[in-house]
Amino acid sequence: MNDDRRWPAPAPYSTRREMLLRAGAGFGALALAELFSTRSTSTAFEVQRSGTPAGQRPGPPQRAKSVIFIFLEGGPSHIDLLDPKPTLKQLAGSPLPASFGPVITPMGEYDAPLLPSQRTFQQHGACGAWVSDWLPEIAQCVDDLCIIRSCWGDGLNHSNGVCQMNTGSILAGRPSLGSWVHYGLGTENSNLPAFIVLEDNPGKVINGPRNWSAGFMPAAYQGVAVRGGAEPIQFLRTPESIGNARQERRLDLLERLNRQHMRSHPEQSELEARIRAYELAFRMQASAPEAVDLSNETAQTLDLYGISEEPTAEFGRQCLLARRLAERGVRFIQLYHGAGSRWDAHSNIEKNHSELCRASDKPVAGLLKDLKRRGLLDQTLVIWGGEFGRTPMSEKGDGRDHNPYGFTIWMAGGGVRPGVTIGATDEIGLHAVEDRLHVHDLHATILHVLGIDASQLTYLHKGRPERPTINEGEVCQKILA
Amino acid sequence: MTSCLKTRLGLLAILFPLLAAGTMPAGEQQSPPGKPAEVEANQRFFESNIRPLLAANCVKCHGAKKQRGGLRLDSRDGLLRGGESGPAIHPGDDENSLILQAVRHQAFQMPPDGKLSDQEIAQLAAWVRQGAIWPEATPRITGIVDRREREFTQEDRQYWAFRATNTPPVPLPVAQDWVQGPIDAFVARNLHAQQLGPAISAASAVLLRRVYFDLIGLPPTAAEVAEFVADPAGDALDRTVDRLLASPRYGEKAARHWLDLVRYADSDGFKQDDYRPHAWRYRDYVVDAFNVDKTYRSFVQEQIAGDELATHDPAALIATGYLRHWIYEYNQRDVRSQWAHILNDITDVTADVFLGLGMSCARCHDHKYDPILQRDYFRLQAFFAAFQPRDQLLLSDPAERADYQQRLAEWEAKTHEVRERMAAIERPHRGKVTAQAIEKFPKDIRPMLFKMESERTPFERQIADLAGRQITMEQVNLKMESKLTDDEKQEWLTLSKRLAEYAQDRPAAPPTAFAAADVGTSAPEIAIPGRPELPIAPGFPSLLDPSDAVIEPLPELPSTGRRLALARWITSDDNPLASRVAVNRLWQVLFGRGIVATPSDFGRLGTPPTDPELLDWLARRFQGAEWRFKPLYRMLLASATYRQSSQSHATEQGLRVDPENRWLWRMPVRRLQAEQLRDSLLQISGELDLSASGPGVDAERPRRSIYVKILRNRRDPLIDLFDGVDNFTSTSQRNVTTTPMQALLLMNGPFVLARAGELARQLSADPDNDQVIQQLFERILSRPPLDSERTEFARILATSPGRGEAIEDFCHVLMNSSEFIYVE
Repeated sequence: MNDDRRWPAPAPYSTRREMLLRAGAGFGALALAELFSTRSTSTAFEVQRSGTPAGQRPGPPQRAKSVIFIFLEGGPSHIDLLDPKPTLKQLAGSPLPASFGPVITPMGEYDAPLLPSQRTFQQHGACGAWVSDWLPEIAQCVDDLCIIRSCWGDGLNHSNGVCQMNTGSILAGRPSLGSWVHYGLGTENSNLPAFIVLEDNPGKVINGPRNWSAGFMPAAYQGVAVRGGAEPIQFLRTPESIGNARQERRLDLLERLNRQHMRSHPEQSELEARIRAYELAFRMQASAPEAVDLSNETAQTLDLYGISEEPTAEFGRQCLLARRLAERGVRFIQLYHGAGSRWDAHSNIEKNHSELCRASDKPVAGLLKDLKRRGLLDQTLVIWGGEFGRTPMSEKGDGRDHNPYGFTIWMAGGGVRPGVTIGATDEIGLHAVEDRLHVHDLHATILHVLGIDASQLTYLHKGRPERPTINEGEVCQKILA
Repeated sequence: MTSCLKTRLGLLAILFPLLAAGTMPAGEQQSPPGKPAEVEANQRFFESNIRPLLAANCVKCHGAKKQRGGLRLDSRDGLLRGGESGPAIHPGDDENSLILQAVRHQAFQMPPDGKLSDQEIAQLAAWVRQGAIWPEATPRITGIVDRREREFTQEDRQYWAFRATNTPPVPLPVAQDWVQGPIDAFVARNLHAQQLGPAISAASAVLLRRVYFDLIGLPPTAAEVAEFVADPAGDALDRTVDRLLASPRYGEKAARHWLDLVRYADSDGFKQDDYRPHAWRYRDYVVDAFNVDKTYRSFVQEQIAGDELATHDPAALIATGYLRHWIYEYNQRDVRSQWAHILNDITDVTADVFLGLGMSCARCHDHKYDPILQRDYFRLQAFFAAFQPRDQLLLSDPAERADYQQRLAEWEAKTHEVRERMAAIERPHRGKVTAQAIEKFPKDIRPMLFKMESERTPFERQIADLAGRQITMEQVNLKMESKLTDDEKQEWLTLSKRLAEYAQDRPAAPPTAFAAADVGTSAPEIAIPGRPELPIAPGFPSLLDPSDAVIEPLPELPSTGRRLALARWITSDDNPLASRVAVNRLWQVLFGRGIVATPSDFGRLGTPPTDPELLDWLARRFQGAEWRFKPLYRMLLASATYRQSSQSHATEQGLRVDPENRWLWRMPVRRLQAEQLRDSLLQISGELDLSASGPGVDAERPRRSIYVKILRNRRDPLIDLFDGVDNFTSTSQRNVTTTPMQALLLMNGPFVLARAGELARQLSADPDNDQVIQQLFERILSRPPLDSERTEFARILATSPGRGEAIEDFCHVLMNSSEFIYVE
């Protein structure tokens, strides 16, 4: 594909990649990854690419090749899961002390009594990380986790928060982190999309598919929703009314016509790209169902993810799918758990979180253990978290409101320091106070682990060199192994 | 940790600068008095040790530009006020001052790139212990050179986009036989300079298809192709152009480009993504404006300030929908930030769309490349400072209004008693809902909501309106029946029934526009964030006019007149940007790429014009034609440049010298835009419903895409995969991608399969295979089949087991073909 004759003059675009994307009918992303495996033109807006030896790349070394981002949608309560706050027991029932300063919460129960956690916390593993009894399985993995208790963001409500955790901005319109990663690193498997989204509750995620949209970047970088079963990707299957033999006849004729047309229009490079798009689609038709087919997984593996029992079967399958996709070189896999704000425990947090933890704890732990025993954890970055945490103040007596001022996520795998707990919230878990990590910092750190310097990865849009962390964000060195 | 808690005690207002301003007046926090000599020594100590220390280590992240952790360390005030973790200093007490805990790596580890030296820490501690003396004469550390402190350079003033347009002489034709008019003369000169030549004229069928797509976004029908090819007259194409420009389809196509720019959608685009039931009137307004060839001047003025024009033309009110296309979240208690986002959004889009200036950089700092000051961003924003969303009733005709009001009064009189009684039952429940809704807002917002409208400041009116929308939603969502006691319920249900009996007497609600107006005759102050002490008056980019804009008051209207002043400035003949931007967008529509390739960024980060003289010539021509687009279309479509073939006889030379085809040595090939693809498929299968205007419909309906509802969070897969815009921000250039997902959609998606099935059904009715093949090509590709194609398709048809199936295969394959997807 690196036919120099086709583009004889140096591209006046910022990068060759940009030129291909923007000139006339640009190339699709999958074709692009191949085009970019070997050559480059270096300019101010050069982007980092996969396939270049680490020594030649100006960015940090790549420590993980793919990301599995487990998104617990709705806002899991850090103070009931991973950030114990004994002080809350002392202050139980009293209003938020004025010393913590006023905060805005969406439901406005600013003066509601503080609600201590009903959970029992214990230290686990060699590292002694605190985990509540809601996550007994993840607790067994703490020596692989880097728990960050000092995250904060700007999104007060779900839409803002989910949008920011995905795109860096609380307002829609920017590319999702997975799109940036795809743009920056290309793909390792052109037969599958590079950025895949798995929803436990399809169609219910807050903001819908715009969470994985490419924003102002070309649509080729957007995430693709994948489901288990016979048609993992929308429109993947040849309709039964057509059948395979007839579809092949159609594709044959189409290719003949398209090639004829290309021969009579030799100067139109995009015509070849379109032919290749059909070839890639055809290969995807074969690869995607294989990737999501769990029938060859052993009973032991299925057990590990809790697939053979309720209520873990559903999310267990999603987690196992994630491993299979990572194994096949998919760059960025995002799993939604509780899609439709199910973690949003404004009332009766005991019931809400009990059920959701029960359904997700074992599958997540299974994924970690499975990745580890296959030697994949070293090259995969696993992230677990929601769009925000929850308030120490109660809501409706037994629930908690949104808390973007301080919350917990954890990471594990390639490039991340295992068995540590970083950062702290204040005595009651309201504000992050130590090693504060804004969502931009989190994104910068994720990109860093993948070998991308967030300040160097740019996409020129409307005259502005746009960056994934919106010119903010610093890598948190403490997270790095 | 306890010390952390301690430092916060009593500083309730830290997170609320506005409250803080009230509770912590700077005057009471002056430096402690002392003997003059001591003061002087302290000041000297500050100037020689502390100011350089703060400037070198702190203000980059905690200063005017960035306020990490909400903290500013560039003034004593900033240190006292502190950030999210509390005040940075407690004068006299270095142990408990956060800044020292931070540099000693006790609370935070600051500065992040390395610990200060022990000496520096000791100096800082001593300074705090001695009362943190800061000379009043120099209250602030300024790290970055503020551009307003210096003159613009000559280079800034000479920058092409800011220079007045002039009328350059049309170059003497260098290729006399090819040049048809001034445009060609410019293009020929440029080609000649590059040692390139134009391509030959495109074949008439190719030209016809090109003109159709460019003007109406649809392919010609088989009959139109046949008629055109058979027309020997030299002006056949000109007549076609005139006919298409007069067709209502033209406005539907041209409007799409405009809607991309103003990020038009029919939904809120946030969590709920609520439908906007009246937004469509704005879309119809745009379609209509293009169809009647409204002057661009009126078009701009109506959108920015239609209400202030006071024309009594409902269209002008509808046009102000331009000010409403920002995304909106009904579930947002932080209404202050929400309002700031809305104003920023309108400012950004206005600069993009009408001025072609990417001004959003200047929201946070002076533009690093262009002569646009941070102040200029807020000068522009100040024109919108008084703006308020309004859902206006459209009752322009006084008789109509009187009639409506009379009938409404009659209905009200008849139902007075019932409604009063119902209201009495509902009142406590509704009151409770309102009280609960108000409680959800931050404490500083609540008092604004309790005030009477007349007591509110203009800003409070805006905030109360925004918050009020959420309260109204709570009322709308209230299920009254479930709230009532059994007794109440019985009576309430009876009353409801009685009220329903009068339903037919109630006049139908008049049409409503999704519009905007001002909050009153005075505007809230606009200031650069963090600099409330410097209110900013409306003004144009300082480089062009540094003085405050002159705002003519509008005696008849409760409006500031600010937006009208802006609109008039944009559309004045000596505005150097607006007409250049407008004609460049038109050029892009026809040639795939503007004379300036970055159509919404004429700044230095954009691309300079390939031919600034041609751009100016067109801009002047546009002004001369009363800022109307149709004459410009006619002129451009008549040019030899436009009528070139997309295939050059000198491709190699062209690709070598000018691979991007910037000089137009051939006509670029363009892929159908998503909406054109959808509309064409429907037209080809004979299913396209050409009825115009009205509320948006579902994508399943065979209406033109411009009339399909645009729901931001639920995009139609075809529009999505073929690079349709997301409608969150202004888009001046669509991406064009080629992906396997597109191939899957076209091959397996039900929409294309259904169109192929329908076309095949119609074609199969003809028993003559040759006729079928003829129709197939003419309908899908707008040309007759070549002999070779005729033979091949006939052979397949003859050997296929099922004729109907084979025809359906043909339809589907041609609908997938490159020739169909691209326009030459």
